[in-house]
Amino acid sequence: MTRVIIIDDEEDIRTVLKEIFVREGFDVAVASDGTEGLNLIRETGADLVITDIIMPGSDGVETAYDIRMEFPKTKIIVMSGGGNTGPLEYEPSAIATNAYLASAEAVGADLTITKPFNRQELIKAVRELTEQ
Amino acid sequence: MARALKSISARMVLAVLLIHAVLLPLLSYGVLTLVHNVQEELFIDHVRIYSRVFADQLQSGGQLANEERIIEALDSSILGGRCVHAAFELDGQLLLSSMMDEEDGENFEEDFGFGEHDDNVYYLSTPLVVGNTMAVLELGFDEEPTVSDMESTRTTILTIVLIYLLVTVFLVMVLSALVSSPLQRLRRDSHKIASGDYTLRMSVDSEIVEIKELTDDLEHMRSTLVGINARLEGEIASREAAEKERRKAETHLRHMHRLQSIGTMAGGVAHEFNNVLLPILLYTDLALEDLPEDSPIRPNLERVLRLANRAKGLSEQILTFGRPSGEAMTVHADIAPILDEAMSMVRALTPASIEIRIGIQRPLGPIECDPNEIQQLVVNLCSNAYKALSKGDGSIRVGAENFEVTPEFAARYPRLETGGYVRLTVADDGEGMDSVTIERMFDPFFSTREVGKGTGLGLSVVHGIVTKHEGEIVVASEVGVGTAIDIYFPHVKLDRERLSK
Repeated sequence: MTRVIIIDDEEDIRTVLKEIFVREGFDVAVASDGTEGLNLIRETGADLVITDIIMPGSDGVETAYDIRMEFPKTKIIVMSGGGNTGPLEYEPSAIATNAYLASAEAVGADLTITKPFNRQELIKAVRELTEQ
Repeated sequence: MARALKSISARMVLAVLLIHAVLLPLLSYGVLTLVHNVQEELFIDHVRIYSRVFADQLQSGGQLANEERIIEALDSSILGGRCVHAAFELDGQLLLSSMMDEEDGENFEEDFGFGEHDDNVYYLSTPLVVGNTMAVLELGFDEEPTVSDMESTRTTILTIVLIYLLVTVFLVMVLSALVSSPLQRLRRDSHKIASGDYTLRMSVDSEIVEIKELTDDLEHMRSTLVGINARLEGEIASREAAEKERRKAETHLRHMHRLQSIGTMAGGVAHEFNNVLLPILLYTDLALEDLPEDSPIRPNLERVLRLANRAKGLSEQILTFGRPSGEAMTVHADIAPILDEAMSMVRALTPASIEIRIGIQRPLGPIECDPNEIQQLVVNLCSNAYKALSKGDGSIRVGAENFEVTPEFAARYPRLETGGYVRLTVADDGEGMDSVTIERMFDPFFSTREVGKGTGLGLSVVHGIVTKHEGEIVVASEVGVGTAIDIYFPHVKLDRERLSK
């Protein structure tokens, strides 16, 4: 069974994503930040990790990098909330989502996806990645 | 009148008249007195000599011997025209010339001065010794010729004086005219210059050195002032222009910063919004899956899903304002076909009562762009133009051309650089906008129309697209006249070989 780990600091998002993946027949675990997610992978392994990009502590880009270094075969999807994904006092250029997402891809994420997406889009993308 | 009296010629004539009024009577009086005295003395000398000679002739000629001879001699002196009175007194006996009347000589005793007693006779007694007795020759000379001589001399002198005065006054008038006419010419010229004809050269034909020098100095002053004036006017104009440019650039920059911060804020809001929207979408989807096909709750949940999807669309539009989208930009050597496609969409969406004029240069580019976004931009701008045509008729003009941005032009808009651009213009002859509206026109959710008619996102999306394409927006609008929005997209700099491949 394909094991999916979901990392997001928002509980609602974690929960709903978990439900969707369970219904699709995946083995699902959730984590609320990058460090917790990485520990989870170390304990139980993972075929696919789907992580938010902005999180307290270790963010999505850092997490993607760490996973890629440690687990080269694990597929990684990075989600972005779109817009300026951070507090307003951030430099707009530094947090421009495109650049941020691009940096996630640069460190090894297989796919970047922008919130909000619908269920079908997500499942389609995940299937394509896991069935390669 | 008072001015005429104060003129140079009046003053000079008056001065000459005054001088002459004092000097001429004195001079005339002196000359007349002198001439009169000389003539009188000449007359008196003459008659004395005559009397003496006459007396000597009587004495030496022996005519004193008898009375007849004496009277004969006296007669001859009257006949000779010399005398009007001739008498001889000897031993108390008075012998009179037979040529004169008895009553002549009545003034003889007391009239020994020239011009006295109004009798025009000058009496002279000449004593002579005859034997042992004294005799007196009494002669009266006619003063008339001398007096009339004197009068004619006086008349001549006075006439000369009068002519002299007239000639002098005339010469003074001519002289003063020589001075005052160039001065008047100078005055007319300086009036003309003062009333704005700065190019008028001051020049006067005059032989008078002072006037020549004055004219030269005035002309020098005029040309210097004209130079200074021109320089000052130029300086003022250039300062005004610079100030205007500066204010325009400042307004533009402020507007840009404002839009940037609104973009940042909108992005932040959209981000939070998306994080809420995602679970709504997904939970609703899951809930729908769990419901039986005939559940009465289903239609409501489907509405929730539809509305959440609409909210998703709104959120995407807000993000288009604030940040570049993820779509890749591609290089297009000619974007005219892209615009054509957009315009056919615009035509389909716009009522036939609106005239749409299109002028698109070909080829247009090359620019690096996202064709879908360019089309969205054109549609949004045209939609906005259409909505400005409140009466339901009017015209929309869409133009696109390659445009060379000069350094002066670039200085006004911080996002423009010198070089080639594509300029897209969408203009309407609708309501136009006031400055407050222009300031806010690109703000998300800003709309001049009633709530519920339009989202207020159309132009903010335009702004986002232009920002992504590193372009610039320039708005010109006047209330009641219309609005023209120019969008500038930079020509992409690449070598032609790569483009053709």
